[in-house]
Amino acid sequence: MPRLHCLTVLLGFLLPLASFASSPLDGRWRLDPTRSSALDGWTHWDLVITTDGTQVNLQHDMQWRSTKRSATNTIDTRHSSKIANFFRVEQRHMALYPAKGGLTTVKAAWIDGDRTLRLEADTPIEISQGEENMRIYSEYRLLEGDRSLVLIELHSSRPQPLVYRFTKVTPEN
Amino acid sequence: MRRLIPFILLTVCAALPAAEPARSAFVMRWNLDWNVTGGLPEKVMLLSLQGLANRKSPQFYVIHPPEYQWEITAPLYSFYERKHGVRFTELKTAKDALNKFSSAARGYVVWDPAVPATMNVAFTIAGLEDALVVTPALISTAESHGLKSIDDLRGRYDGQTDAEIYGDAARRYWARCNHDAFMLMGGHAGAVRMPGMADWGVRQRMFFNDLSANPKHAAELALAQKLLAQLNDGATVFGWHSYGKDTEEQWTTLLSGYGLKMEGLHNLPNLSFNCQFTFTPGFKFTNNHHTTPGEKLVAGPKVYLSFVQSDSIGIGVWTKPGRGKLPFAWQVTMNWTKFSPAALEYFHESATPNDYFIGGLSGPGYMYPNHIPAAKFPGLMKEARTLMAELDEHALEIMDNSAADGNVGNADLTKETVDRYYAAFPDVIGFINGYGPARTRDLRDTRPMISYDYYIDPRRPRSEVAADLNELIALNSKRPYFLLVHVRESNDVNSLVEVVKQLDGPVEVVPLDVFLKLAASRKTYTTRYQDPDDPKHFEGYRK
Repeated sequence: MPRLHCLTVLLGFLLPLASFASSPLDGRWRLDPTRSSALDGWTHWDLVITTDGTQVNLQHDMQWRSTKRSATNTIDTRHSSKIANFFRVEQRHMALYPAKGGLTTVKAAWIDGDRTLRLEADTPIEISQGEENMRIYSEYRLLEGDRSLVLIELHSSRPQPLVYRFTKVTPEN
Repeated sequence: MRRLIPFILLTVCAALPAAEPARSAFVMRWNLDWNVTGGLPEKVMLLSLQGLANRKSPQFYVIHPPEYQWEITAPLYSFYERKHGVRFTELKTAKDALNKFSSAARGYVVWDPAVPATMNVAFTIAGLEDALVVTPALISTAESHGLKSIDDLRGRYDGQTDAEIYGDAARRYWARCNHDAFMLMGGHAGAVRMPGMADWGVRQRMFFNDLSANPKHAAELALAQKLLAQLNDGATVFGWHSYGKDTEEQWTTLLSGYGLKMEGLHNLPNLSFNCQFTFTPGFKFTNNHHTTPGEKLVAGPKVYLSFVQSDSIGIGVWTKPGRGKLPFAWQVTMNWTKFSPAALEYFHESATPNDYFIGGLSGPGYMYPNHIPAAKFPGLMKEARTLMAELDEHALEIMDNSAADGNVGNADLTKETVDRYYAAFPDVIGFINGYGPARTRDLRDTRPMISYDYYIDPRRPRSEVAADLNELIALNSKRPYFLLVHVRESNDVNSLVEVVKQLDGPVEVVPLDVFLKLAASRKTYTTRYQDPDDPKHFEGYRK
């Protein structure tokens, strides 16, 4: 009986951790440009999501012609954080640049039964007139069947959303 | 009264432009088949023939279909008829062309399509030896016109690298080639090649090659550096880099390091014909200025937007629908005053009041100023000032993509480069910079330097273009905001008219000269130069 009790206690402790340990959003997702907002200055975009407890890594594997770049934003769903070198997937034909040395405040949460990651970022941008903050509201929504992910991004400075659709990369594709 | 008649006649004649003597020439209409296994061999032969036929006088002109990258060959043909009194006779076939012009050749040289570099070596030989360039399949055609073999490259270069082939060609021919000009006959590579500029290289006896400026191809790069170093001061590199080996940025960086100028593209046609015409008698460039040099304008609390197209006016928006509906600045390939005056005159003649011409790119030819040796900068820019004065241009466009990655990335100028421009161009109304967006900005006395805040990709949906511009307008919230937009060559003006209708706020589209004057009046933009910490896609070459 004491042994059973210990097991119950152990399971009671481990199970919630297990539910945080991974997410159905985890994996490599590839942009479907034909069903997405036009993205200038990038020819390929793989989004790699990994969760570790309350920590979520959003890794962006980008490609422009033969040039490859990878950048990861690590966020925590328990509290807001300040990130140096926050990576914003930008339309690279606009003179908007990450402000040098700028810190981005990021807040994230799982919603919709943990099938949507909501992210709010306040990021300093270099513009021709100096510097300005851009507020970015993003939702990473897992669609039915868990094979498709849609990223909806709203900017405080843009009157319409950017919508990016991704397909899960599996050994078969 | 009778004494008055000659006087009246003289007066009337003096009032008319002096007529050029009528001349005759021949024209061929080509198709778009440039396949190595299709139409290329015959076109290569005809291009060498064109270069030889046009050696002494303009005899042979080619009209390309409207879909060809240089869309102006047909309008320019009409211009020659109308303004220069050229009476063209059409040559229907290659045989017709050979019947007419084979006497311009002393023989033929054979190239081997299985060894692509032999085409360029054969063009070099053609220029030096007055040879027709043929494939083995066309030998009988050449011989049927009485031509004999001068050289045969079959087998000579089998299994050799391009560095070895061009190295051998340099040993054999370089000393006899023109050292004021260099033919980089690259561009399309593989199954399709498009050496449309070869007539010019043959006429001018240039060294043809498609050497790589890619540091990965060390032997080719070393040979290119050796040859460029031996060109004369002020020389021009004609043609274009090979799409299969390196990038535009690499080659332009390389040649700029020697103070040389680039004049492209590899498929620019008819220079051997065009170079032999001057401007029509009495013609003088008159730009559509919207301000006077000393005039002071004051910017209001608005967004001022100005459109510029810089991909050479012969290949872009000029012939697309809607030109004239919006104020537009056009970067003129200033060197065409030497190589293609009629084309420049044609553009000026067909300009609307909304078309405004500016100088560029970066100097008297296409070059990257961050890499121009300091000692060569003043002389080059003196040449640019002379050309701008001739073309009645008051603004200069600068582009340095040496650290950029195509049309994205770092297109900024160092402070040292900016200082040099301000010293070299005391009389301009201002400078613009970039290709893709850039962030070099300055204002000294009344001369602003403004970079593009936006680049319009022709494939980008117009609703997204409008949203992008609105986002820039929202973020740059101080008024006035000076929004400079680069329009890539294959956009059309009609679609931009629709974009402008969707813009938020008090937006005014203004001609570039007005834009620069207004930008001089209220500096709401930061002063910025290339930051050494800014990422660079390519660091440049060690000499």
